[in-house]
Amino acid sequence: MDTSLTALGDPIANAKGRRATAGWPSLLIRAGSLFAFASVILYFAIAAPAFLTFGNIANVLEQSAILGVLSFGMTIVMIGGGSNVITGGIDLSLAGNLGLCAAVYASVLRDGQSDTVAFSLTLTVGLAVGLLNAIAVVGLGILPLIATLSVMNICAGFELVLTQNTVIPATSPLLSTLADNGPLGISYLAWVLLVLAVILIIGVEFTPLGLRLYAVGAYREAARAAGLYVKSYIAASYILSGICGAIAAVLSVSILNGSSTGSGAMLLSVVLTPLLGAVFSRRVVPTITGTLLSVLFIGFLINGFQLTNVSSYWVNGVEGILILLVVAATSLVGRRES
Amino acid sequence: MAAETSSTEADFITVRVRLSAVLRYTIVFAFIAVFVFLSIQAPAFFNGSNLLNLLVNNFALLALVSLGMTLVTSTGGIDLSVGTAIDIGSLVFISLVSSRHSLPAAVFGGLLGALLVGGFNAFLISALRITPFLGTLGTLFVGESVQQLATNGGQPIYLITGDLPRGFMEIGRGSFWGVPIPLYIVGVAIVGFLVLIQRTRFGRYVVAIGAQSEVALYSGIQVRNTTGLVYLLSALVCGVTGIILSSTVKAYVPLSGNAYLLDSIGATFIGTTLHAEGRPSVVGTVLGVLLLSIVTNGLLLIGWNFYWQQVGTGVLIFLVLAVSFLGRRARA
Repeated sequence: MDTSLTALGDPIANAKGRRATAGWPSLLIRAGSLFAFASVILYFAIAAPAFLTFGNIANVLEQSAILGVLSFGMTIVMIGGGSNVITGGIDLSLAGNLGLCAAVYASVLRDGQSDTVAFSLTLTVGLAVGLLNAIAVVGLGILPLIATLSVMNICAGFELVLTQNTVIPATSPLLSTLADNGPLGISYLAWVLLVLAVILIIGVEFTPLGLRLYAVGAYREAARAAGLYVKSYIAASYILSGICGAIAAVLSVSILNGSSTGSGAMLLSVVLTPLLGAVFSRRVVPTITGTLLSVLFIGFLINGFQLTNVSSYWVNGVEGILILLVVAATSLVGRRES
Repeated sequence: MAAETSSTEADFITVRVRLSAVLRYTIVFAFIAVFVFLSIQAPAFFNGSNLLNLLVNNFALLALVSLGMTLVTSTGGIDLSVGTAIDIGSLVFISLVSSRHSLPAAVFGGLLGALLVGGFNAFLISALRITPFLGTLGTLFVGESVQQLATNGGQPIYLITGDLPRGFMEIGRGSFWGVPIPLYIVGVAIVGFLVLIQRTRFGRYVVAIGAQSEVALYSGIQVRNTTGLVYLLSALVCGVTGIILSSTVKAYVPLSGNAYLLDSIGATFIGTTLHAEGRPSVVGTVLGVLLLSIVTNGLLLIGWNFYWQQVGTGVLIFLVLAVSFLGRRARA
């Protein structure tokens, strides 16, 4: 990497050489944050008797599916790109990709094609978006933040061209099956989230491939010196992220019965979720498990506010405060240690 | 034989260096090319009133926000909460006007509201040492909640046209010697930021922190104070933007400021391609904003469908970035 680009990090953190390290203080923070998360859940469980029922939990799982699948993509990119959010890995095109793919799925169905055709075309578009990101970041060496930003604009443009800024209604056997209840009375939407989570948790956290992806993100030069073909890992992370965008799009079409305008509004939540989820990991880095837990936490938060009749306008604020608390605590501990 | 090889190699390197020096000015060439192309293709493009309209409607507000973003990215940070500062500035300004306070008081209040957002960022980043990306992202989310709670979930506040204080409409729509007032404000801001970054001690500190924060710290620069001040200044120009925006539309529309976030990041980073080492600069940013605004305005005049305009703008920016980053890679 170009030295000028790496210099774009956080000045104060760089100046202090601060790191979020393992050890008892970080354990304390993680315990504290987990305690905070648990007490929020506990509060709702007491305040709203319906909260911890099986049906409600299944409901939360279903409503978290889109954000969850998108956030998995973001997590993989963040793992492969490293923790510096400006020069490291980030995929701002995810929400735009979701909008475009949903528009593709809905408009292909509208033209009288089958689910198979629609699904394969959607997947192709998602892949293409991922590939474009990979080419821009790895091939052309554009900073991920602006590379994916400009790809997001391209996605949003094509989405507008396809939908003419209206909602394209869509119904199909696959879409209604997804919304139906599957095994255990949990809808297939929720199953997609859970199954994908299990696959990715195994793939990213328990295979050599996943470990190498972390190595590439944490210390690119060392990974290269160890003989890893760094570029292919980073490229693969963007392509996987593109696929996640396509899968999330199909879920979104199923839930909304059509394409959606304004998918871009999800962008910042998708950025925030993996970062918030980092608190669930021992080394305070994004993990698939952490992301799943943080998505579910946000889902429970929204759901709990609804059940206790608290305005949902608080949700964003609580999310924001939580991330600040978590990050402030981590950096304070880091400072005491150094 | 050996000497021959090395001389062709040297030639090759010279060509590469020259080529990369040319590629560095991609954004300038792109700007000129688009300008000439539009002037030929759309007769309505190259005339005084359209260019003035372009500068007021497309250029001015984005330029203001991007100047703040340029200063912040110069320290190596980023400000994701520019939209929040715009919105809070606009909210306070419009609320004060609608409760019949005087115009200067409303403007002052609006700027103070925006500075509150900047102060919150400064506190998070300088005092709590949260990284700028996460700190300002947190501010953004908190700001969204605050606005939703303050406006009952996002109801806009409209002003009644017959009941506006004197001079209210002038902020966004008035003109002086034939030049619209927002352009004076932007002009002053551009010159101000140029002088601030290039000619003052503060500006040198900012650049030093962005280049080598450790060296800056050990050479006695007040890294934390300087960094904090940068976020306050960014919020201040966003507040000005919010006031101009809301006086143009005579309303406060919740969460409307976020529209500027991605464009200002885009313009600033497009501008970094102008610099040999990829640093943000006021001139680069202004060129970036100009490029974005003439493309938006020009494609409309050519008669492109609104939806295809978005695609066209996206692809053009992607190409500009691709070419200039390839150039930078060739130099490295």
